[in-house]
Amino acid sequence: MINLAQRDIAHSLGKFLTTATGVGMLLGVVLIMIGVYRGLVDDASILLKDTRADLWIVQQDTLGPFAESSRIHEDIKHQIKLFKGVKDVSAVTFQSLQLYRNATPIRVFAIGYDIGSFYTPHLLAEGRSIIASHFEIVVDAKTGFKLGEHITIGRDIFTVVGITRDAVSSSGDFMVYFSLPDAQKIQFLSSNEQIRNDRARGGAQEATTSTANAIIATLHDGFDPKEVAQEIERWKHIKVFTQSEQLDILTKNLVERSSKQIGLFTLILLLVASVIISLIIYTMTMGKIKEIAILKLIGAPNATIIKMIVQQSVWLGILAFIAGNIFSHGVVDLFPKRTILITSDALALLVIVICVSIAGSLFGVKSALKVDPASAIGG
Amino acid sequence: MENQKSVIKVEKISKTYGAGESAVMAVKEASFEIFKGETVALLGPSGSGKTTLITMIGCITEPTGGKLFLDGKIIYDNGWKIHDTRQLRREKIGFIFQSHNLIPFLNVEENVTLVPIMNGLSDEIAKNKAKELLDYLGVGDKLHVKPSQLSGGQSQRVAIARSLANNPKIILADEPTAALDGERALSVMQLLKKLAKEQDVAIVVVTHDDRMIPLFDKIIRVNDGYITKE
Ligand SMILES: Nc1ncnc2c1ncn2[C@@H]1O[C@H](COP(=O)(O)OP(=O)(O)OP(=O)(O)O)[C@@H](O)[C@H]1O
Ligand SMILES: [Mg+2]
Repeated sequence: MINLAQRDIAHSLGKFLTTATGVGMLLGVVLIMIGVYRGLVDDASILLKDTRADLWIVQQDTLGPFAESSRIHEDIKHQIKLFKGVKDVSAVTFQSLQLYRNATPIRVFAIGYDIGSFYTPHLLAEGRSIIASHFEIVVDAKTGFKLGEHITIGRDIFTVVGITRDAVSSSGDFMVYFSLPDAQKIQFLSSNEQIRNDRARGGAQEATTSTANAIIATLHDGFDPKEVAQEIERWKHIKVFTQSEQLDILTKNLVERSSKQIGLFTLILLLVASVIISLIIYTMTMGKIKEIAILKLIGAPNATIIKMIVQQSVWLGILAFIAGNIFSHGVVDLFPKRTILITSDALALLVIVICVSIAGSLFGVKSALKVDPASAIGG
Repeated sequence: MENQKSVIKVEKISKTYGAGESAVMAVKEASFEIFKGETVALLGPSGSGKTTLITMIGCITEPTGGKLFLDGKIIYDNGWKIHDTRQLRREKIGFIFQSHNLIPFLNVEENVTLVPIMNGLSDEIAKNKAKELLDYLGVGDKLHVKPSQLSGGQSQRVAIARSLANNPKIILADEPTAALDGERALSVMQLLKKLAKEQDVAIVVVTHDDRMIPLFDKIIRVNDGYITKE
């Protein structure tokens, strides 16, 4: 049997490919949207996962630093360390910070940690982690700073000793790392009026007040994080989460909102793509009215005509899908935030595109079936 | 003629377009019979109902009254009609149009083999038959050419090959040579007639060209929807 769809496509291949490329770019945008979402989910948990902690000890009645502000006395870490099962602890601070590189501001997210503890920037790609307790900094490669470079913060000058790759905070800012005392000092310097007022009133609080945002802990093998967490909570007025509980909180708080946003956007894009595919197929069918009339006149059954239109539509969808993948892979690196293209997402889109193509061809099919074979006669 | 096999038989066949005040009676109770291998010309002034008549014979336009037999089988009987007219057309009728009406995205060979293959003929047999017909018609070298690259005369020859490819009982042609100049029109028509005779296919041709008249076995004249002379 002669494949009419294929012959017609081959006959006006240039036009067909151009159309497919156009629709493909739209599908490419859909893929990138999904990729942005994947990147967001992944990025949001990078910092949390990078700690490789088992427990998060945070201010009582809070959900921890990933959901709201949490302040806790640094000293508590010493007591935590004495609990059965606890292997090591580190106080950590989190804060947003503005660094300047050649007078250009760069928004970063700073983490301060106990340099002697289990914690270390695991995403380190170049250089080393912090050894000296003061004036050393580890930065992410995307900040643009190079090893050995000096960064001025307040009145202090920091030296870049290590570079991480793909280290971003849950809101997508590039990470930088400080020793805990440095971080505490910076937090204090850049803090709000309240603290500045405190200092004006009380004076030497700087030296004595050592607060952190959370204390993270690792456990010895064989201890259940949940049980140890309950044990610690019973003893102190603090809240303890396991790593996976913190991850859940993080996902709920940060990602859910953006996933709805992106999900809706993707849905609308898909709708637009299907309307466009329908319109194209309809127009393509309308351009073949004469041929369809001839086919009917010489006795081609409806099935043959329907097959021609639907196949063409599906081919358009598949070619557009291929173009969309090429497009999205081509431009994905231009996006500043991490965009992850996953094969399974692409395959899901392929299934949707094929369904949309078939549905989109129905208008074309409907009008083709109405064509009067008698119209092929004459003129 | 009486002992010959009837291919088309119409009895008091009528066609009215529209209804009420705007109704047009295009064909009024026409009766005639066409036999196997017979060549028939349909003559008449513009608007007299020739196209309407030939499309009713071709099972494209549904009559509004009368009876229509094709190859001895009743197709239309005062309101009742056979279910699948398209299969009928595919298997028993060949069409040639005023403008050649080849399918532009198929090459010459595919245009000719499309219907036979739809009828279940193997690709190979269909292709052989197409080649034979196209050779005979002098366009055998155009097998893989698209219709847009053919001249008017060549296109019409390909259209003739297509109409014969499904071994029809009857070929219906509505002003098949209108787009060709006098000389070429005559030669195409002669070729069509020759082929029809050789393959024992009946043909009905709507024409305005008086020079064609001697080519036909029978002339049916139509005037204002009535058959005036057979
Ligand atoms: N689809 C239609 N709807 C309404 N009226 C029609 C239709 N087709 C034809 N008619 C009318 O029927 C009459 C016969 O038309 P037909 O096309 O059969 O004439 P014809 O003999 O083929 O004319 P021509 O030589 O110009 O092709 C005309 O009056 C025409 O206006
Ligand atoms: Mg006419």
